[in-house]
Amino acid sequence: MNENNSSRRSFLLSSGGALGAGWLALNWPALSAAAAHSHEMAAGQADRSFKILNAAQSRDVEAIASQIVPSGDTPGAREAGVVYFVDHVHAGPYAGSRDEFLAGLAAFQDDFTQRHPGAGSFADLDADAQIAHLKAVEATPFFGRMKFLTLLGLLALPSYGGNADKLGWKLAGFVDQHAWTPPFGHYDRDYPGFVPYGKEKHS
Amino acid sequence: MSARTFKPDDTVDFVVVGSGAAGGVMARELAQAGFDVLVLEQGPRFTAADFRHDEFDYWFNNALLNSPETSPQTFRRTASEPATRVKGFPSLWYARMVGGSSNHFTGNFWRFHEVDFRERSLLGAMPGTSFADWPIDYAELEPYYTKVEWDVGVSGLAGASPFDPPRSKPYPMPPLPVKSSGVLLERGARKLGLHPFPAPMAIASVPYRGRPACAHCGFCIGFGCEMQAKSSTLYTMIPEAEATGRCEVRSESYVFRVNVDERDRATGVSYFDRDRREHFQKSRAVVLCANGAETPRLLLMSADARHPDGLANSSGLVGRNLMFNTYTEAHAVFEHPLNEFKSVQVTRIVHDFYDADPKRGFYGGGGLDGRIGPNPIAWSLFAPPPEKSWGSELKALLEAMPRAMVVATHGTSLAQESNRVELDPELKDAWGMPAMRVTYDDHPDDLDFARFLQDRAVEIMQAAGAQQVWKAPVMPAPGSPHLLGTCRMGDDPKSSVVDRHHRSHDIRNLFICDGSSFVTSGRGQPTMTIQALAFRAGEHIARFAKRGEI
Repeated sequence: MNENNSSRRSFLLSSGGALGAGWLALNWPALSAAAAHSHEMAAGQADRSFKILNAAQSRDVEAIASQIVPSGDTPGAREAGVVYFVDHVHAGPYAGSRDEFLAGLAAFQDDFTQRHPGAGSFADLDADAQIAHLKAVEATPFFGRMKFLTLLGLLALPSYGGNADKLGWKLAGFVDQHAWTPPFGHYDRDYPGFVPYGKEKHS
Repeated sequence: MSARTFKPDDTVDFVVVGSGAAGGVMARELAQAGFDVLVLEQGPRFTAADFRHDEFDYWFNNALLNSPETSPQTFRRTASEPATRVKGFPSLWYARMVGGSSNHFTGNFWRFHEVDFRERSLLGAMPGTSFADWPIDYAELEPYYTKVEWDVGVSGLAGASPFDPPRSKPYPMPPLPVKSSGVLLERGARKLGLHPFPAPMAIASVPYRGRPACAHCGFCIGFGCEMQAKSSTLYTMIPEAEATGRCEVRSESYVFRVNVDERDRATGVSYFDRDRREHFQKSRAVVLCANGAETPRLLLMSADARHPDGLANSSGLVGRNLMFNTYTEAHAVFEHPLNEFKSVQVTRIVHDFYDADPKRGFYGGGGLDGRIGPNPIAWSLFAPPPEKSWGSELKALLEAMPRAMVVATHGTSLAQESNRVELDPELKDAWGMPAMRVTYDDHPDDLDFARFLQDRAVEIMQAAGAQQVWKAPVMPAPGSPHLLGTCRMGDDPKSSVVDRHHRSHDIRNLFICDGSSFVTSGRGQPTMTIQALAFRAGEHIARFAKRGEI
């Protein structure tokens, strides 16, 4: 039994008194399986290989993602490995839109070359020039798709290829846990309880 | 007793099509009344152990939903436009599984108020709409609302809202523990002289009828409940139906036709099993609980030489008067962490704007609640305003997520005949059956009221002390999980599809009970009323069957 399972079990034992051991005995296998499954998904091995992108494509995708959620004092899309999510998802759940994605990327790269002859690739630009270029193509469907994929890759379960070391979740202050107890946040800590209204009828 | 397994040649008393909010209740009521009931559910049967904390798969890969790949839909705003195939996320969406959308719903269980049933009489006609009174009133439905609260399981605080309609019993469970979003909604609303109150939720706040209390994991809206605390029919009505020994729930059984004989009697249904083999199931009566999108589609697919416009459709209203409920959001960021990713979506609501007010200049009524929307991916995609949708400003917002909340607005949709579910003339689903074509445009009053309510949401967040408040754009709806009005209930066969007992006007042993029965949309939380209708219909149908009146 892994750590998640055992904390879940102690939670159930401490909070489920009224349920009794009978309910737990009946349902523990299912609950335990659910916990283990989620845990495995969350801990999935990071696969750092590319399934569909070549080196030039992956460099540009990573550079674009890195301007959507930049690095800095805290990690961004680059450190979270968003580029691996973008690659893997088009070999998996989003395989059906792979060709559309690659065509959009090719059009992005062609457009870049036309606007910046001799500049190499988008990934070769410095940050300010990258931002300026993305502002110029901000309204394209491909950039919209990249925003969508970057946030998915940042915040989906690490088993999908991104959110490395749960960096995306740490950035957003999110914690995946099987159970929480109140108080949940700052403002419900000292809630005095619901104060009823008078008996007058308002409607 | 354990679940029944019928033999292929058995003629059952009732086939119930669909096992969701309505179908689960219907199966339990008819089986407990002593009848043989076969529930045919197109989706698979999951257990609590199958549900995962996987926001990507559940929200962005349609893990539980009717998939646009295999169950495609086309959409158009008006009949004068070409309909285009819906990609990515379905327009009319539901959880395609045993228990249906009662698995992935938020669990907001508002009763309708008295006005919802007789608003047409109170306010007068609305030109260009099918605005009408229900044939039943609140008092008629009240005992069944109580039955939902006690038999299905709803947490709440009776008498907390000064606007609540009369009730015969308190809630069986106390409200769920308040979240920071609820405290802030309450703080802001009270400052403005409004009357926020604890949200009634179909989620167990304490152990109830053999199910554990909510563990506040936060994977709630859009997810199945791994704790069995959400009062889905998968955990409540279905096991109780099966325990009678008279009910079988046959999953992965996709009904594509209701069969009728030359005397206009339903003889049974045709369905595909999991291997896409066709079967005919004989039954003495058929009850459609397939939801407000699939029920009309099934009736239209059941057209034959004698019913060229589909079954039960002499009124021409099958599939028409589709209603959604408007939904808008105001976003806010506060000084300290709320951690809205924990626990259920909603703990406080506001009903001060429930009633329509002609002085506003437009029709509409609704409610507000505090929440955040499913989980981090959805918030990061949908909350940031367009000018902060990438770059350092997006990143700053992502880092503010623990301090963020949403005030969501829920409002009326007017019935309009032009809003409808039809069969697409060309596109087929993965089984070769006609795809669903959706035509939907919000009435201008619906959007005006949504904007009005959104402004109230902004005021509440400002009064609560938010550091930043911004509005999501209010746009015509691309779709909804609230699937209402498409086989409306009424006394007159010319202007309705089912009568006040959910019997179709045209076919005596065909009953229809789900969101399609609605005459008006209510204020945004339909499942409570769908289930109250199902309890009431189940009682009447059982009575008819016992008297030989089917």
